[in-house]
Amino acid sequence: MADTVALKTEKRQGRGSHKAAKLRAAGRIPAVLYGHKEETISLSVDHDELMHAVRHNTRVVDISIEGKTEKAQIVELQWDCFGKDVLHVDFKRVSADERIEQTVPIELKGIAPGIAEGGRLDQPLHTLRIECPALNIPTSIRVAINDLHLDGAIHVKELKLPEGVKALTDPEAIVVHIIRPKVEPAPGTEPLGGSVEPEVITRKKSEEESEE
Amino acid sequence: MPQMPKRVKYRKSQRGVVKGNAQRGNTVSYGDYGLQSLEAGWLSAEAIEAGRITAAHAVRGEGRLYIRVFPHKSVTSIPAETRMGKGKGEPEYWAAVIRPGMILFEIAGLPEANAREALAKVAYKMPFRCRFVHRRPSVGKA
Repeated sequence: MADTVALKTEKRQGRGSHKAAKLRAAGRIPAVLYGHKEETISLSVDHDELMHAVRHNTRVVDISIEGKTEKAQIVELQWDCFGKDVLHVDFKRVSADERIEQTVPIELKGIAPGIAEGGRLDQPLHTLRIECPALNIPTSIRVAINDLHLDGAIHVKELKLPEGVKALTDPEAIVVHIIRPKVEPAPGTEPLGGSVEPEVITRKKSEEESEE
Repeated sequence: MPQMPKRVKYRKSQRGVVKGNAQRGNTVSYGDYGLQSLEAGWLSAEAIEAGRITAAHAVRGEGRLYIRVFPHKSVTSIPAETRMGKGKGEPEYWAAVIRPGMILFEIAGLPEANAREALAKVAYKMPFRCRFVHRRPSVGKA
C-alpha cells in the first residue's frame, strides 16, 4: 500500500489557456478539486511534488488549501501529446470509509516454465480496474507465474487480491498466458505477393454497372 | 514482405499535409516500452518492414513486438524523363502518415535495457527522429 503524500496547493485565480500556460512555465500544474457535492475549486500544485507522488504510485493525497486539509484521489492526469508533461490534474474528494474505483498496474513475478518449453509469454492485461477502500489502495497486483506452462493462462478470476479489494475487470479476461510461437516462413519461401496491388472496391461497382 | 492494404476504395490518394501533433496513437498501449516519432512524415511500408526485422531479432524467443502503424496511403510517382501532363503517376509504394508523438513500435516481455537497445536499432532505420518511451502511470478509473 502506498503512503499518503501531502500536497501543498494554491487557489488559482483566473481561467483560460493563457493563465494555465503561465502557471506551467512557473513549474506549477493547474488542477481542480471536486466531489462530495461540495464546492469545485480551481487549484495549482507543484509539478515536482505531484510527479514524485505519481511515480511512487500514490493515488490518494492530502491536499492543503489555505490551511485546510482534504483527502483526495488523483482521478485523471492530462498529458501533452508526447507524454512528457502533465497539463492538468483532477482531484476527487474521498473519505476514509469510502470505497473507490482505481486502476492499478499488474506486476508479473517469477519465471514461467512455459517459456523454457518453447512458448512465448503474452500479457494482454497490464492494468486492473479494482474497487478498494480509499485509504488502502494496493500499489500493484502481483501475479506469480511460476506455475504457468505452455498453453496455460491466468484469468482475472484466478488472481489473489489483497483483502477488501474487488476486481471490476471481466473475470474471464486473460491476464497472462503462454502461447505457442507462430511458425514464420523461412526467408525466400514467402509467396511473392499473389496480389501486387490491393483490390479496388469502387472499380468492382463500376464494372457491375457497365454489365447491367 | 512489406505491408499494404488488402482492399482500398481508391488506388491513388492526394498527397495531403501532415499538420499538428498526434492526438491519438500516442500512448504505449500493448507493450511495456515503445518507440515514439518526434517528427512528421511518411513512413514507407519498406521502412516498417525493416524496423520489424530489426526488432524481431532482439525479441526472438522472449518478448513480443507490436507494430502500431500501417501503410494506408499509396504514393504515386511518374517515371523519369517523362514530359509533364498525361495524368497522375502510378502507385509506387505504400506509406503510413506519421505525426509527431505517434508510437511506431512497442515491445513487451523484455528487460528495459534490452528493449532500449532493440528500439535504438529500429530508430536507426526510421526516416525521422524517434525516442524511447515507457508506459504511462495508471491513474484513476482509466
